[in-house]
Amino acid sequence: MKINDKMKIRTVAGENIVIMQDSAGSDMTRVVALNESALWLYNQLTGQEFEVDDVARMLTDEYEVNEADARKDAEAWVAEMKKNGLIL
Amino acid sequence: MHLCGGDTVEQAMRIPGMSVFAIDPCPCEMEVKFVPRVTIPDCRWLHEFDIIDGRQRCRFGADAEGTYYYTFDRHGMLRFREGEGVEICMNGNVEALRFALWVAYTMMGEKLGAVPVHSSVVVCAGRAIMCLGESGTGKSTHTRLWLENIADTHLLNDDSPIVSIIDGKVRVYGSPWSGKTDCYLQESHPVAGLLRIEQRKENTIRRLGVVESFAALQPSCPPSLAKDEHCMDLLVEFISHVIEHVPVYRLGCLPNADAARLSHKTLIG
Repeated sequence: MKINDKMKIRTVAGENIVIMQDSAGSDMTRVVALNESALWLYNQLTGQEFEVDDVARMLTDEYEVNEADARKDAEAWVAEMKKNGLIL
Repeated sequence: MHLCGGDTVEQAMRIPGMSVFAIDPCPCEMEVKFVPRVTIPDCRWLHEFDIIDGRQRCRFGADAEGTYYYTFDRHGMLRFREGEGVEICMNGNVEALRFALWVAYTMMGEKLGAVPVHSSVVVCAGRAIMCLGESGTGKSTHTRLWLENIADTHLLNDDSPIVSIIDGKVRVYGSPWSGKTDCYLQESHPVAGLLRIEQRKENTIRRLGVVESFAALQPSCPPSLAKDEHCMDLLVEFISHVIEHVPVYRLGCLPNADAARLSHKTLIG
């Protein structure tokens, strides 16, 4: 899988957000906010092929989490990013 | 921003509501001019939409050099390039011309931090409350309820006032574009708050966080701006500034006096 490079991360009043393109013209714009670690993963992984294992390894290297938790977090992050079209 | 020059002004002044905004003498150089023809080169069309209750088909596009183009059904065309201003070629259809001037204002204003925001705006004790929402959600109904039930209030605009950031302050200005309500006022006020209106079976109000505020305000800004990356960058900067300085609320409401009292108590106190 890889990061969808057509999406653009923007800073709005201190938050990192992605504006979903499919929502134009609807009553509310659909916006996905990325927290600090999600943004870090996103930036690190942009431009490369990766798997859930790579994401889990990055989390254990960067943060104080055990492997099982990192794996769980990585799966959840990838699923959420895929759902919103940010990972293809 | 001003519209100047002989023919331009004469044509524009035929539009209802426009003459209220005349300033004499005009302090700027010509930025919008009427020309006999606008030639559109190879252009990437980014957005197609209907105006005037679906009776006119418009297109918005950009070429590789960053020049923007609009076509207004069979009634005319517009060209905008930063630094060169706007050229408009129209066949005399007043409604299309009114919209073309709105587009001209939108394209030039964005660079200056001035954006038309689809809203109905009531002024209370010198501060403006902007009601946002899709057509039919009750924006105008809610501002009317303020006028009927809250003291010291008047309507500023019922469709497309201009929100402008000047010296960091967010103000809203009357405009010649006020939808079906003839309300053309050359005045401006600081914005007390934005209300995203939703019809509900009871009256509730909740202040929105940054992400929800963005999602609430962006659909009320000119849709074409979101279709071009450069325009969207400027729009995001504008929205970001507005929501950092002005509170945004979601108002679930009935069309009754209590709804106006609730939003008045929350925004003005």
